[in-house]
Amino acid sequence: MDITEVIREFVVTEYLPDTPADELEVDYDLFRNGVVNSLDLLRLISWLKDQFGIPVDELDIVPENFRTVAAIRDFVESALPAPAERTLS
Amino acid sequence: MYEWSQAHHELRAEFAPWYEVLSEGHLDADNDPGSDTDSDGGSPIRKWEQVRASGLLRLPFHTEWGGRGLDLLSTMYVLEGLGEGCRDGGLCFSICTQLVSAGIPLQRFGGPELKARYLPGICDGSTITAHAITDPRGGSDVLGMGMTAKPDGDDHWILDGDKVFVTNGPVADLIVVYALTDASLGPFGLTAFLVERGTEGLLAGPDLPKLGLRSSPLGELSLRNCRIPAANVLGRPGLGFAVLDHVMRWEILCSFIVQAGAMRHRLDRCVAHATQRRQFGRPIGSFQMIADQIVEMKIGVENSRRWLYDAAEGVVRGRDVTTDVAIAKVVTSEANVRSALAAVQIFGGRGYLAETGLEKDLRDAVGGTIYSGTTQMQRIRIARMLGLKESQT
Ligand SMILES: Cc1cc2nc3c(=O)[nH]c(=O)nc-3n(C[C@H](O)[C@H](O)[C@H](O)COP(=O)(O)OP(=O)(O)OC[C@H]3O[C@@H](n4cnc5c(N)ncnc54)[C@H](O)[C@@H]3O)c2cc1C
Repeated sequence: MDITEVIREFVVTEYLPDTPADELEVDYDLFRNGVVNSLDLLRLISWLKDQFGIPVDELDIVPENFRTVAAIRDFVESALPAPAERTLS
Repeated sequence: MYEWSQAHHELRAEFAPWYEVLSEGHLDADNDPGSDTDSDGGSPIRKWEQVRASGLLRLPFHTEWGGRGLDLLSTMYVLEGLGEGCRDGGLCFSICTQLVSAGIPLQRFGGPELKARYLPGICDGSTITAHAITDPRGGSDVLGMGMTAKPDGDDHWILDGDKVFVTNGPVADLIVVYALTDASLGPFGLTAFLVERGTEGLLAGPDLPKLGLRSSPLGELSLRNCRIPAANVLGRPGLGFAVLDHVMRWEILCSFIVQAGAMRHRLDRCVAHATQRRQFGRPIGSFQMIADQIVEMKIGVENSRRWLYDAAEGVVRGRDVTTDVAIAKVVTSEANVRSALAAVQIFGGRGYLAETGLEKDLRDAVGGTIYSGTTQMQRIRIARMLGLKESQT
């Protein structure tokens, strides 16, 4: 699975259990639509650390990085060390 | 668990002589907290001049601002000594609030200009600090708060609303006020502002009577059309949630390691009492039922210390400690209430008297299950981190 799919599946499983994964648009605004509250965000950050091994600094916690599935993907990609060597389960 | 060095022991010992001074008269202060009310209506924080002189307020701040430059674990180690040595729980609580409410987020999220302006006064205690998160509408549900901030031109914000339960609020010179800047942005709708005493439209209410922690002033704030420079935002607009999370970690680890210290003191006191006090021709400690209660107190101390120091080590190592800090808070606050109640019981009639100081400990301990996120909210946080949904918790 590529990064976008991994993230999309997590978001759907966690926050939108009634939505089939492929129906969640990658640019769907998770904040304006009230999908992610502050505890959800903490869990999302914790999951990103575990899943991709990236430390999320408090100063990285800006809405632009978490607003949509695409934004989360971009954030993860920019934080990962060497894209070519990446392997995902 | 974390190993303490000789340097740590020496550091802790350096502050020990102050604790007798800070404890002196604590029972009177609890019975009559407003007795030294000054002319402008606020009760000064008891012994504040001695607290300042002790240097305790400098612990976690960089030397550049007049601090001692200690990391989180070393700061906690000294504060554990404060809890063990100082019998005035309210004073300890005000000290912790001073350490974490404004200085800690300023050091982490403030720009150079803001730090230079405020940190020296925070370190030497000439600037008393507080933080105002809770308001009449939003308590546990922080994002449900009524306090709002709206932009006023490019370089100011207008804050409007009320805050309740502000520790140090009646006497604070600098308050970190959390306000909603855009309710539609969910967690990113919250912003932290540094607000100075004397700002037009800011009114601090008097110290309110309460169950325990009576020597720690606590009051309400009202902000009416308060114009705050944009430069006084901590971090940036929308980062209030991350600022609050950072502060709450420090607040929980620092103020509850103080409680672990207090529990240790209480345990030693109960062991001594149970050894000396005789009934039916034997020391009461030889009765299994008394020994059991003391053993529970011991387990409570050790459990609390381990959770708190372990979570702190996780913070330093960059581990995700959301769950650990919540567990540490529940474990310590609840162990402290049980320990205080057991001590009253073990001392019998004497434990019930104000003069022994144990009933005060019990009243102080109850607050710990409420502030910094109630026991219930910590459990919800743990459930959520496990992936359990709201409807299942
Ligand atoms: C001694 C003391 C000092 C304090 N100092 C400060 C300070 O310096 N600054 C500051 O901003 N605040 C401070 N507070 C306020 C404190 O943080 C709040 O009281 C606390 O967060 C709870 O909010 P609340 O009082 O509005 O209670 P509410 O949120 O109204 O909660 C009432 C009860 O309902 C429970 N509850 C709420 N939501 C849920 C839920 N979803 N599921 C299950 N149970 C729930 C709570 O656990 C609680 O038992 C202080 C409080 C005390 C007692």
